[in-house]
Amino acid sequence: MNRNIEFRDVAKSFGAVRALVNFAIRVDEGELVTLLGPSGCGKSTALRVAAGFEVCDSGDVLIGGTSVVALPASKRGIGMVFQNYSLFPHLTVHENLEFGMKVRKMSRSQRTARVGELLDLVRLAGLAERYPHQISGGQQQRVALARALAIEPQVLLLDEPLSALDATVRVEVREEIRRIQRTSGIATVFVTHDQEEALAISDRICVMCDGRVEQIATPHVVYRSPATPFVARFVGKVNDLAVEMTASSRVRLRGHALEFSVPQSEMQSGEARLLIRPEDIRVTSSAGGEGLQGRVDGLQFGGATTSLDVAIAGTNHVVRVSDSTRAMQFGIGDTVSLAFDMERALLTRE
Amino acid sequence: MKISRLSAWFTIGIVAVFYVVPMLAMTRFAFQRIPVIKLSWGNVFQKWTIQPIIDSFGSPDFQRAASLSITLAIATALTTIALLLPTMTFAHLGSPRTRRFIEISAVLPFVVPAIALVVGFAGAFRDTLPILIRSSFGLVPLYVITALPFTHRTLENGLAALDIRTLVNASRSLGASWWRTIAFVIAPNMRASIATASFLAFTVVLGEFTIASLLLKNTLPLYLSYAQGSNPQGTFGLGIVLVVISTVFVAMSNRFGKKVRS
Repeated sequence: MNRNIEFRDVAKSFGAVRALVNFAIRVDEGELVTLLGPSGCGKSTALRVAAGFEVCDSGDVLIGGTSVVALPASKRGIGMVFQNYSLFPHLTVHENLEFGMKVRKMSRSQRTARVGELLDLVRLAGLAERYPHQISGGQQQRVALARALAIEPQVLLLDEPLSALDATVRVEVREEIRRIQRTSGIATVFVTHDQEEALAISDRICVMCDGRVEQIATPHVVYRSPATPFVARFVGKVNDLAVEMTASSRVRLRGHALEFSVPQSEMQSGEARLLIRPEDIRVTSSAGGEGLQGRVDGLQFGGATTSLDVAIAGTNHVVRVSDSTRAMQFGIGDTVSLAFDMERALLTRE
Repeated sequence: MKISRLSAWFTIGIVAVFYVVPMLAMTRFAFQRIPVIKLSWGNVFQKWTIQPIIDSFGSPDFQRAASLSITLAIATALTTIALLLPTMTFAHLGSPRTRRFIEISAVLPFVVPAIALVVGFAGAFRDTLPILIRSSFGLVPLYVITALPFTHRTLENGLAALDIRTLVNASRSLGASWWRTIAFVIAPNMRASIATASFLAFTVVLGEFTIASLLLKNTLPLYLSYAQGSNPQGTFGLGIVLVVISTVFVAMSNRFGKKVRS
């Protein structure tokens, strides 16, 4: 049987608020798909509908090809890890892992063997007899993941499982989740509002806004070829500049005389926005540079990369430039030249 | 600061006088066989005995009344937990409006007099379900209502200390039914609150007089009232024992309550 999950045109409203609008996505066996979006975009609602904690207004959810919308949460065969620590406080780690297996009336020997396997899988073999309050937050989430896998679910749902953890532990547990998901080969839906997390962990990312899917694609495509201005603005950093179309393939920054060629645009004239990522702007010293001139207003050293905030001369525009090779050469107050890689820019009316 | 501390001690002192002095007088009357007019500093420690209370314990009427009260107290505690725990769990999972409604309902017994409760109860069930009026167990629903302000608050505190929604969702996603979730996930994490609510319900039942009297049930408080004429020392002695038992229960509730808060 194919262990996958599919949302078919799912709609869900809370009063006047439309949490999900024709939400459709399919996650195949072995795949990890992240639902990414700002708070209130409907990503957790989608997960709760799949888990059976919310009833959808219309549409269907299929697990392994079978509709589950009529089933209660306890019969759906899903494993879920929650944002808040969800281990049962009165049970030890061992007993927490056994809980779902006891519900399924597995024998004691089967349970013990499975608990051993799971503890090895999440690398917590020595903590079986500890209570949840005796282990760290990261360990608790790993136990929660093992507990969700203990019942051998068809689908794994992870609802912001890392958001309660501190930055270092978050990266560790994130990598652990990915390793375990790959080992178990289970179809996984991962919810987060953290774009870096989504880019790092996912096979595909589903970017959501106001209950709608904006784009579903691999992390690389979502980042490099955003389907909508919202995706461009939400995933990664982007410079959002007011421009004017002077001809079908020419634009100029508002308040600046210099024109750029735009490779492809359906827009003919009028005002527009130019979205361009900081790494798609090349910075050179003004002596040898052509094109836009600016002054370095700010400098952020980020280890592997350094970002500059450059105020474009003669305009109100300040662009962020992230040039790992050249930005280090400049200091605040330096005059620089900027070259936009227009092949990678997005032009929009919004 | 000093004045407020002084006034606090003054208040405690006044309360102690109003509480301790009658208790001491009751104790002396119950356990010392010297009439009060013959009492002096010379004989204050003489002729103390627990015989009156032993006599009371041996009385079949007392045994019936005590047995009924204890049975009703246990039934009330069990019914309270069985009704309130699932109801309040669902209320916590549902809308805040439901919780507010339950909270307001729970304090109504403070403002509805016991006599009004009994009159309404008797009027509603005398013809439709007369067994509730005839049987002593008909007192249980009324006791559950009377104890509600205390039991509800205790369970509410316990539930508020837990992340109920996450625990329930985790349990349900692992395949557990609602019954299993409440019995094996919620209840064990509410042990302290459940014990406290049970103690409080027990204490309320042991001291309740009006409802039992109006419905003509011979519970312990009624026995104490009626037996005063024939064995005044014994009934005062039993009164002291009841006060001690209630105090122990309240102290235990307090101890469990501290556990819940921590």
